[in-house]
Amino acid sequence: MSEIDRRSFLITSGLFSGGMALGVAPASAAEPKDGTSHAPWATDGSGGVEMHPWISIAPDDIVTIRVPTPEVGNGAATQVAMNVCEELQCDWSKVRIEFASVRRDYLEKGIYTVGRQPMFSGHGTDPERMKMALQLGASARERLQRAAAFRWKVWQDEIDAKDSVLTHRPTGRTLRFGEVAAEAANVLVYNEPDMKSEAEWTFLGKASPFKLTAPAIADGSAVYGIDVKVPGMVHAALKQCPVHGGKLKSHDPKVVLGMPGVRAVVVVDPAKSRGVPKGLTNPVGMGMILTTAQSGVAVIADHYWQAKKALDALPVEWDLGPGGKFADEKAVYAQGKAALAKGKGPVIRARGDVSSVKGGKVLDASYATPWCENAAMEPLNGTAMVTADKCEMWVPAQDQHAALWVAVDETGLMPDKVDMHQTLIGGAFGRRTASDDVRMVVAVAKEYPGVPVKVIWSREETMAQGRFRTPIMTRFKAVLDKEGMPEAFTAHTILGGLIAMMSSLEDSPYVVSGAIPNAEISSTFLPYHVQTGAYRGPCYNSHSFMVESFIDECAAAAKIDPLDYRLRLIDKWDPAWGVVLKTAAAKADWGKPLPKGEGRGIAIANWPNAGLRKNGTTVCCVVHVAVSRSGALSVKQVDLAFDCGKIANRDAVAAQLEGAVIFGLNSVINEEITLKNGAVVETNFDVYPMMRIGDVPPVINIHFDALSGDDRFQPVGEAPVGPVAAALGNAIFAATGKRLRQTPFRKARLNWT
Amino acid sequence: MSEITLKVNGQLLSVDVAPDTPLLWVLRDHLGMTGTKFGCGIAQCGACTVHLNGEATRSCSVTAEAISGAEVVTIEGLSQTGGAVLQKLWADMNVSQCGYCQAGVLMATAAMFKQTAKPTDAEIDALVSNICRCGTYPRIRAAIHKAAGMMVAEGAAA
Ligand code: FES
Ligand code: FES
Repeated sequence: MSEIDRRSFLITSGLFSGGMALGVAPASAAEPKDGTSHAPWATDGSGGVEMHPWISIAPDDIVTIRVPTPEVGNGAATQVAMNVCEELQCDWSKVRIEFASVRRDYLEKGIYTVGRQPMFSGHGTDPERMKMALQLGASARERLQRAAAFRWKVWQDEIDAKDSVLTHRPTGRTLRFGEVAAEAANVLVYNEPDMKSEAEWTFLGKASPFKLTAPAIADGSAVYGIDVKVPGMVHAALKQCPVHGGKLKSHDPKVVLGMPGVRAVVVVDPAKSRGVPKGLTNPVGMGMILTTAQSGVAVIADHYWQAKKALDALPVEWDLGPGGKFADEKAVYAQGKAALAKGKGPVIRARGDVSSVKGGKVLDASYATPWCENAAMEPLNGTAMVTADKCEMWVPAQDQHAALWVAVDETGLMPDKVDMHQTLIGGAFGRRTASDDVRMVVAVAKEYPGVPVKVIWSREETMAQGRFRTPIMTRFKAVLDKEGMPEAFTAHTILGGLIAMMSSLEDSPYVVSGAIPNAEISSTFLPYHVQTGAYRGPCYNSHSFMVESFIDECAAAAKIDPLDYRLRLIDKWDPAWGVVLKTAAAKADWGKPLPKGEGRGIAIANWPNAGLRKNGTTVCCVVHVAVSRSGALSVKQVDLAFDCGKIANRDAVAAQLEGAVIFGLNSVINEEITLKNGAVVETNFDVYPMMRIGDVPPVINIHFDALSGDDRFQPVGEAPVGPVAAALGNAIFAATGKRLRQTPFRKARLNWT
Repeated sequence: MSEITLKVNGQLLSVDVAPDTPLLWVLRDHLGMTGTKFGCGIAQCGACTVHLNGEATRSCSVTAEAISGAEVVTIEGLSQTGGAVLQKLWADMNVSQCGYCQAGVLMATAAMFKQTAKPTDAEIDALVSNICRCGTYPRIRAAIHKAAGMMVAEGAAA
């Protein structure tokens, strides 16, 4: 902790010692007493003495840690609790988590806002937040020790803290944390205790406890957004224009108002969004307001099935808007193809002079990836109650700040009038970051004020209203020198969406390292009418697939082994990348002959900072496939090596990497959203294929041997998604000689003779 | 609306619902048992799997009227019907990621174990065909094999 951080921490901790310095009610008092059932993942909940807004300790030793990190399935919330526990020295079996309240964060001037993307679900090991959690744990432990010293009238340094017990070494007397927590909360600490060095850690990096959410998930008591129960709650089924950007033209509520349970038909009109109150700016993190309401209609009924049936029966006419004129997705993508044919776009990175390179072997190839849907298993939903001066909501948001500010923008209320309860999240993969879903929930509830309304998107509505993976087309050219290495490299990329990032193309180490002396990257941004958003490793997943496939084409043209080719390009630039490549290759028996129809492919990439050494997470995948003569593809084995610096929880890291490999494989093999008359065709799993247990590779090996130990704990959930796709395509090429430049691969004919 | 009687997790209950209401929504909305999850509504994903008269059934696709008088076990009742071993293993082996699919996966797994004490990989593929977007499949398979080993060991000891 820097000196300044340390000081501001001291002030903070001083203010909150004893709880009430700002006159804010203690957390336990804010727990709804109305029978609201969103425990155990409540905000502002739980009893016990508050040591700090992050930590409460109850008389029975239960430690409640309020994490500013929603839990999307990656274990980030558990990780934050582990970070506190390392220094607090409490018994892990006594640790509980709650999701910190973003409203409280607002009222108490950012008490939970630490590090990059605070209150976003992605990062349990954000460096600043991790330090904060460790320091808070140390501080609480110090105060417990001091309280015990005072009670026993002994020197504090004679007291050990371990597993929630304080022991006076000379006499062997003991006190449980819970027995002195009340006194400890009143102890002021003027000098924060030193934290352990990493070498002294006994828990982080050593233990891999299961996620704290695991038991509640296994017995069905876990509360996701869709499970929230609020007294007096009604249900809404929602329909928005099937063509993005279209508007409600007419509807006839009379037809359904008499149906059983139906209470109202409400219209969501984007013009009714009230806007953030004047003079307020959204101060933090990713909580930018990126969304507007979509024109739509909802039926409100006592029960969801009643609402859904009435919505299905409701006569609705839409003004489809400009998107409606596209007969299919090809008609939309034709805009991109035309832009690609024009040659380059605005140049965003150049090195040397690509036009100076003459002669040599020329490669020219175009790649494309389509819209894909996040397809989280929990359909979009949320519950809100809006009155003239208050908005209370229960939502599975991936970014609490975004959710709060979207609700402020939709209702026009001051942020302190918006109370948000974070629930568990049934998957998101980026889908729930921008809170466009939260906005629709609030917009519907606003039209039925004073009553809590649970809004549920059907699966069909969830998928029709995706904020899809940005479709990308890129045309690559390379000129190879006498050795077969690229002397010039150009890429022109067309990005069709709101999320238009260039990670792993613009900053590809092949380019930034100077290994390719002449390079030019240009990009054209073409916002199609179909809405896009974050999809696990946004844009990176496409760029890294394409770059790593095209480099493989260069290696093949040069008749150089694909592993050697990559090593020649990047081993010297950052040896850690070389280690990752070599580790995955060695573990996968790279180079060992295979029967006809089988092949291995390799690919490497880094999320989110490919162009910086010792940064982000570097992943190399080797995929081994078998393709039958008739073209049936089976993935036999995946070997993955990675470098995220260091790891805090080995098993949690392995789980994320396994999951990301499967996500990446499904994406490249199966996924594509197509259009008919501008509207999404694939709106459920019968037509949007998902890998099931029998489809996944029988062997997925996660190798930890390439970890550099460099000083970072980078998140690993996104990094595999692109390279595993490229490695699969490269393996198919090795097996069949067919180069796949477009996804989904299931549409390609892979037969060979 | 009509009165329908069901035995849910050993308890006799009656609800007043439209006859075409799917069992899933009877459980979730009318009986307040939200452990059974809504994923797709068209019998594709398995998130809504319960035991209906002892068999794994996708509750989004059976109507209340079709099952009046039936016996239903949900995730909330799984531990009383022999599923506790599975539930503990699921936590110990950190199977879940977001966890949303796992109630259905556990119900499908428990039903499979009633048919076969030592399921083969092919049986697992066929009988636990639920969708898990988080990609927990390798862990689901590992947990099933481990559970089979434990149950066989238990059986041998008994
Ligand atoms: S919700 Fe029933 S199978 Fe998907
Ligand atoms: S654990 Fe998230 S869908 Fe299966």
